Amino acid sequence: MKWLPSFGFRRRKRELQEELDAHLQMAIADRVARGETAEAARTAATREFGNIPLVQDVTRQMWGQGWLEHLGRDVRYALRQLRKSPGFTITATAMLAVAICANSTVFSWIDGTMLRPIPGARDMGDLVSLQRGERNFSPTPPFSYLDYRDLREQNHSFAGLLAYHNDWIALTGGAQPEPVYIANVSANYFDVLGIKPLLGRFFMPGEEARAIPNVVLSYSLWKTRYGKDPAIVGKSIEVARHPVTVIGVAPEGFIGAAPGLRDDLWVTLNPLGTDVWRMTHRNADWLIVIGRLRPGVSRGQAAQNLNTLMHHIVAAYPDQHLGDNRITLDPMSRSPFGVNGYMAATLPILLAFAGVVLLLTSANVATLTLVRFVSRRRELAIRQSLGANRIQLVRQMVMEGALLSIVAGAVALLLTSWTSKTFAWFFPANSIPLILNGSMDLKVVIGIAIISMLAAMLCGALPAWRSSQAPAAEVLKAESASISGGSRNRKLLSGLVVAQIALSLPLLICSGLFLRTLRNLATANPGFDQNHILTASVGLNIAGYSNGEAQLIRHKILDRVSALPGVKVATLTDWIPMTLIQKRCDAYPEGYVPHPHESLLVEDAEVGPRYFESLHIPILEGREFTLNDNEKAPRVIIVDQTAARRYWPGQDPLGKRLRVSGSLFTVVGVARNSTHTFVNESPEPMVYMSIFQHPGNETIVQVKTDGNPVDLAPAVENAIHEIDPRLPVFDVRPMRESTQMASSFAVIESTLAGMFALIGLVLAVTGIYGVVAYRTQLRTHEIGVRMALGASRIDVFRLVLSQGLWLTGIGLALGLAVALGLTRFIDRLLYGIGANDPITIVSVVILLGAMSLLACYLPAHRAMRRNPVTAIREL
Amino acid sequence: MSEKDQYKNRIELLQGTLDMLILQTLQWGPQHGYGIVQALRLQSGNVLQVETGSLYPALHRLERQGWVQSEWKQSESKQRARYYRITARGKKQLASDLGRWERIVEAIGSVMYVKPKESES
Repeated sequence: MKWLPSFGFRRRKRELQEELDAHLQMAIADRVARGETAEAARTAATREFGNIPLVQDVTRQMWGQGWLEHLGRDVRYALRQLRKSPGFTITATAMLAVAICANSTVFSWIDGTMLRPIPGARDMGDLVSLQRGERNFSPTPPFSYLDYRDLREQNHSFAGLLAYHNDWIALTGGAQPEPVYIANVSANYFDVLGIKPLLGRFFMPGEEARAIPNVVLSYSLWKTRYGKDPAIVGKSIEVARHPVTVIGVAPEGFIGAAPGLRDDLWVTLNPLGTDVWRMTHRNADWLIVIGRLRPGVSRGQAAQNLNTLMHHIVAAYPDQHLGDNRITLDPMSRSPFGVNGYMAATLPILLAFAGVVLLLTSANVATLTLVRFVSRRRELAIRQSLGANRIQLVRQMVMEGALLSIVAGAVALLLTSWTSKTFAWFFPANSIPLILNGSMDLKVVIGIAIISMLAAMLCGALPAWRSSQAPAAEVLKAESASISGGSRNRKLLSGLVVAQIALSLPLLICSGLFLRTLRNLATANPGFDQNHILTASVGLNIAGYSNGEAQLIRHKILDRVSALPGVKVATLTDWIPMTLIQKRCDAYPEGYVPHPHESLLVEDAEVGPRYFESLHIPILEGREFTLNDNEKAPRVIIVDQTAARRYWPGQDPLGKRLRVSGSLFTVVGVARNSTHTFVNESPEPMVYMSIFQHPGNETIVQVKTDGNPVDLAPAVENAIHEIDPRLPVFDVRPMRESTQMASSFAVIESTLAGMFALIGLVLAVTGIYGVVAYRTQLRTHEIGVRMALGASRIDVFRLVLSQGLWLTGIGLALGLAVALGLTRFIDRLLYGIGANDPITIVSVVILLGAMSLLACYLPAHRAMRRNPVTAIREL
Repeated sequence: MSEKDQYKNRIELLQGTLDMLILQTLQWGPQHGYGIVQALRLQSGNVLQVETGSLYPALHRLERQGWVQSEWKQSESKQRARYYRITARGKKQLASDLGRWERIVEAIGSVMYVKPKESES
């Protein structure tokens, strides 16, 4: 180890040499003095002295520094060995680097999303997410302010409970209004999360429910819109055309409490005093609540505590708490709010796939290593008989594997610093303020180190230990190359090949299932026609218009856009299906008595006239909305088939009434079911209301055209700006693009599984090729003899081929058993195909079998073509 | 088993005894490795032939434990050699080694030379 300050060590080494030399000289001198000749004295003294390097070696061990020297020597030896076979070194390093990178990439995604749900927050493990009622993907905010306040003040399990509500709003006051994502938060929000302000202060407890227009800016907004103005605190800015005062700036990196979503600014719950209704009604559920557990309190205890409190609240206010009121707690990594619910369903499975790839690669490298060791067995035997002990040999061989893995780990580290950033590529343009990226922090680096160590153990130590077991004398005696390192090594080699095939088969089957799922999703009929549709969001609700003004503008927009050339149908909506955005509300059918804990949530959308026409959703009974369904007309509602069957089974739903947010709506139509979020969802009841009677939070212009919807975009934007140039228009894109969001997780799954399976296929096929070719080469002599004794070429061909096919057959059988046991874990990610789909399984088995056959055919063909005479000569 | 392992085992077997013998030899004055081998051989009447593979590890270990010190000096025959000298701690160690040795010899002796007891029946 040259870089060590081993000055003293080297001096001592020299002195030891000198000391032993002096011993020898004195012994010679004594013998000469006794009358022996100089020559005889030297020979005798040397023989008497013994093995000088060995004496040096055992003496040095007494210095207590021996291991360091050994390590240095082993590293140098290993480097020399690796340099001697660059082909092996480069192949093995590259394969390991790819396999480690696959693992660390997926892990960095998990780390960046599930493991760091709230960047910047203190002691994330103590934070839990509260859900009330039904559990599903992306539920609506579950708590009203008064309920939240009671829970916060009466519980004894939490160090703090915070609440927030996210919404879009427009930053006005500039040349163009800018839509930003805002959060109404409880006063203790930053405190419970453990965030300290970068500038200014955060909210005071007394400000929570009062109309004080204060705002906290996120670091990125402060940077991009206000140029990092150091004097921003105290300045007034305009939000939705209301002046508000900046009181603080959040630190860099903190983006809010909803995992994966980016907040731009924070205000208190009712900063303008305009939201009195939702501050004072227990049936106004609009808050998402996160708690920090007291030290020593478990999630279960806290849930029990909250449920007891909730029980009292429900008993006191039964009318405001219909439906399911049970509270459940989740760790932030699995919080249903934000994106982690989706992540938790996808990423761990991909990590398991990557783990299989790593195992496969290690088995492959172990095969190569073993082959190398077997061909070096003469060298190893000679060294062993010259005094190297087995531990030492094994250590040196393991060192080769360790070096490979360390280099591969370093390469993987470099690769991962790039691949971890690719996660965001999988998500199409969308209207969600998504912040999704892998992270390259210490955890990932440590993960890579651990993975590399595992790989080193698997592909270095195992073959080293096995090949060191051959008795030195036997190996040296055996002159012929036909003993291929003993039958034990042969068995290990075969075992490794079988393992590679058995591991790659499930990978291939899963990726086949994922790919077919993706195709099924793409070709599935969502129940609506999304072709030739353009959607554009108008920042009507966020820009600070009154309800009356907004309705007027909506009418104007419809008029103008309908009149544009090329527009077949123009309508309005507040929701686009299959964008991962879900809206829900409580709907109480008149006269319907819910069971205890029955959820009365339905999905809802507020749509304009001709909405169903524009999407080709048939109205099965009744009619669709018209311009006349406005605020002056009686409230009307359209339900889908699922809702109709749930509430009025066997009856005519037309004319029935539903109570939604305090008003009674009469059913005027039944629409055919269509996809809400995922093609493979189980249908939930859905209701549609007229946007002119019950305006939603969004206003989206939806236009059907004959041609390419993108061509219409400038005209639509112009038409809206002609009404009011200050109206923000954003997220203008074809509907087909927006709905891709629904299949983005299927795309991630099939892309990665496909890549992993390809790697697995290549590894398995090269593995079996390598082993069959190697063993055939070792048997060249034997084959020559067989042919000389009359074996035909076909016999030789069959001999070699059958050997490889046996291994393939065993591997396929094992792999099939593993696959059949494992595919049920991905069952719920599949669509339109069973987890044990026979067509996929059979075609994958045929593919892998055919590739293996080819891999065995090549060496068999070569062996058949050999000239027996030269083959016999070859040893 | 390799040669090195054999050395190691012998060191373990003889460790206490060899240390004691070396320290005893150094009682008569500083000596180099070769001198110690010769002295042990002569004093044991050619019975004890200490091998270099045992001697030098033992010397270096004794030095590390602070029981001997070494310095480079010229021998009588003008050969530069490393001389080992027993330290005060080494003398104390020698005394305790000797005590232990005597007890062992006595114990073994009493086993080996025990007179058969009279039958008690």
